Amino acid sequence: MSKVSNEAQVMDFVRQARAERKPFEIMAGGTRRHLGAPISALPQLEISAIQGIVNYEPEELICTVAPGTSLPEMESVLAQRGQRLGFDPADWSAVHGVSGAATIGGAVSVDAFGPGRLLRGPARDSLLAYRGVNGLGESIRGGAKVVKNVTGFDLPKLMCGAFGTLSVLTELTFRVYPRPSRAAVLAVKDVGPLEGFAHLRKIARSALEPSGLAYLPSGNTLLPDVGRGAALIRLEGEATPLQEKTIMAKALLGAPLDDVEGGLDLFNKIRDGVMFADAKLDVWRMMIPASEAPRIAAEIAVPLWLGDQAGGLLWLAAPPSSAALIRGLAAANDGQAMLLKASDEHRARMGLYAPPPPPLAKLRAGIKNAFDPDGLLNPGRI
Amino acid sequence: MELPPPDQDILARRDEIVAALKTIVSDGVVDDAAGRQVFDCDALAAYTQQPLVVVLPKTRQQVIDVVKYAHAAGVPIVPRGSGTSLSGGSLPREDGILLALGRMKSILEIDYENGCLVVEPGVTNLNITKAVEANGFYYAPDPSSQIACSIGGNVAENSGGLHCLKYGLTTNNLLGVVFITPDGEEVRLGGKAGAQGGIDLLGLITGSEGLLGTVVEVTVKILRKPPVTRTLLGSFDTVQKAGACVAAIIGDGILPAAMEFMDRQCIEAIEAYNAPGYPPGSAAILIIDADGVEADVTDTMQRLAAVIARVGGISVEATDEAQRVRMWSGRKASFAAMGRLQPDMICMDGTIPRKKLPEVLERMAEMSEHYGLGCCNVFHAGDGNLHPLIVFDQSKPGEFEKAEAFGADILRLCVKVGGVLTGEHGVGIEKRDLMPEMFTTQELEQQGRVKCAFDPGGRYNPGKVFPTLSPCIEQGHLHVRGAQLPHPHLPRY
Repeated sequence: MSKVSNEAQVMDFVRQARAERKPFEIMAGGTRRHLGAPISALPQLEISAIQGIVNYEPEELICTVAPGTSLPEMESVLAQRGQRLGFDPADWSAVHGVSGAATIGGAVSVDAFGPGRLLRGPARDSLLAYRGVNGLGESIRGGAKVVKNVTGFDLPKLMCGAFGTLSVLTELTFRVYPRPSRAAVLAVKDVGPLEGFAHLRKIARSALEPSGLAYLPSGNTLLPDVGRGAALIRLEGEATPLQEKTIMAKALLGAPLDDVEGGLDLFNKIRDGVMFADAKLDVWRMMIPASEAPRIAAEIAVPLWLGDQAGGLLWLAAPPSSAALIRGLAAANDGQAMLLKASDEHRARMGLYAPPPPPLAKLRAGIKNAFDPDGLLNPGRI
Repeated sequence: MELPPPDQDILARRDEIVAALKTIVSDGVVDDAAGRQVFDCDALAAYTQQPLVVVLPKTRQQVIDVVKYAHAAGVPIVPRGSGTSLSGGSLPREDGILLALGRMKSILEIDYENGCLVVEPGVTNLNITKAVEANGFYYAPDPSSQIACSIGGNVAENSGGLHCLKYGLTTNNLLGVVFITPDGEEVRLGGKAGAQGGIDLLGLITGSEGLLGTVVEVTVKILRKPPVTRTLLGSFDTVQKAGACVAAIIGDGILPAAMEFMDRQCIEAIEAYNAPGYPPGSAAILIIDADGVEADVTDTMQRLAAVIARVGGISVEATDEAQRVRMWSGRKASFAAMGRLQPDMICMDGTIPRKKLPEVLERMAEMSEHYGLGCCNVFHAGDGNLHPLIVFDQSKPGEFEKAEAFGADILRLCVKVGGVLTGEHGVGIEKRDLMPEMFTTQELEQQGRVKCAFDPGGRYNPGKVFPTLSPCIEQGHLHVRGAQLPHPHLPRY
């Protein structure tokens, strides 16, 4: 393992690896190593020392950090100025049963968005600029440190969800958002999936700007006594507006709406996949059109599951034998099923996502080649 | 500014190319000189060029067939939507097929359950909102040309508008596209679920200015129209106070729906033009919109008024819709108002860190004096996007060149203070040769390799965005002659 603490050292390492044609694995907190196809027995480039807040300007809504910065540190720095990240980044350590500090670089690289994506989009909508070292050992900047920019190709988008296959990230600049002073979590209880998701979609279509819409089925381990299931709504705002939004939500749904004690913590657990921590089965994150959630959940029919994004994201714990069904349903519904956790053997066989059709595979290979022609960075991970 | 020289071999094969295209799109090939003349520029009218031939497909299959033909025949393609680009993104080539998608304008599906619309690329931005507004929905990005500009063009340019600060640019409001690669392959990226399962090529294509291929279907997010929108006007006796106010508003955690800045020159020109009644003697004013549910907007308005008072400004809230419209009428007339001062005008489009505004305005005032040309500033203050308007008289020898040099100096200044060459108009041909001001050679090469992944032959919109010639000529601009913008019926602000 080679530990580096600045970009110049990363460049030296990559150039050396290139000269020796030795592929390597990029690692910081190490909490996301079990995602994607396993990479075994490769030298590791350990970048967790490239960490810390580089520049934070609350008035510009911009925060530049080094990728090894831990998620709690970043959130706490932003919270001190009443701000936060837009994509509500998740720490999936519990799902994978690993310890260590999840980093912002890792969260961007795997696009670990949380329930807040509903309001402010996934990581790609927050990352304005990056610095990184490509597979040629060159330091490249993409995007710019301003909130509005259309100069040249939008390279930061490519870094989100690339699983470190295009560049070793050395600096990330985010657009950040105000953190409303109050939040409330409300629940419609004792509703089956059909009714529950319909409630959530109704709120999603409203002007209430919800920051979380999730469904917990009966028998879930996060919230007891939900009857047939609970539709959960997270609303935010200052004191009076929040009150008004709550009243509007009740009127809109025409159903009893209870305050959920500890609701914010509940949403954080949904975000981090805590319910799937002890799952002995494969864990999937399946993105689908929200309206299809009740039907698809019924068809897959596993006991341990939940719906986020008003139904647009299903978390499922399923036996390996369900993999073909899950991938098939995702493909048939214009969606994608990400295999979040599985045995090495099953991940190697199933891949992180279904293989893309040939023209798309060709474009993706071309992009990989444009950044890393020798295939040095995290080879084969996605 | 020059495009790469035309390929003489292609020019010699023109008849054969036209005939082949006619077999693909029998009712949509424009090859006569008069017809081609119509397409010889976009809204950057300082540059004109007749295309080799114009083809107007009606179906996806026709697009695929045209692209495959061009690929096999080695002919460049320039894609075009409504031709409203302010940076010359769809400027034709003498040796290129102009692939105009304006006839593909069907709304394919409206899906309220999933909050999205599926449309063809030629549908105008405004028609997306019109298709859903009866049910209380709208499409958020609102470039000033929205009555004419197409959604395909919006994807290509990553178009913005007045409301980007809160609602984002085009890229933040897209769920998916169907895309034809330069070799004619159909690729679906994302869709109603907004999921791509791998590297985000949708994000790359958005804003790629037609260099990577052609979009033939777009899935956009729609939002519920906010029930309440209110407007507040802040006036300040110094630019510094106005700049401090913008920082204080954002620092206070307020996210206005729109926040527009105008400087003294601009205010004076506007008052002389349509007299919206801006406070006399102001050095700068801000027009600020808040939207949302009633209590949210009321709360925001109170906080805005408090911040404005705190920094030493004076605020007036519009009490009814008529006053609201009047406040905005001045801002929306700013281009036309400035255009009356001199026969010609160019509009720049840089973004700066907001905190640099006073410094940048001061430097621009010095440049204005240095070049002896008038300049005023309208500014999307919320997101730091600056639109300096330079006025001049082209009939005076050397004045156009001076205006161009002034504009280039402004963009260099934007980059120098940590900003960018373009916030929403695109690089196109206009700012192509300034790209090295912002990117290193290695960075430009990296972007060039990305282009190669899609278009190894370099046949898609060649000569745009990336400098292929030595950077020796100053860039062009949105050129206004006699207060007449290109497409004078389109609002521009």
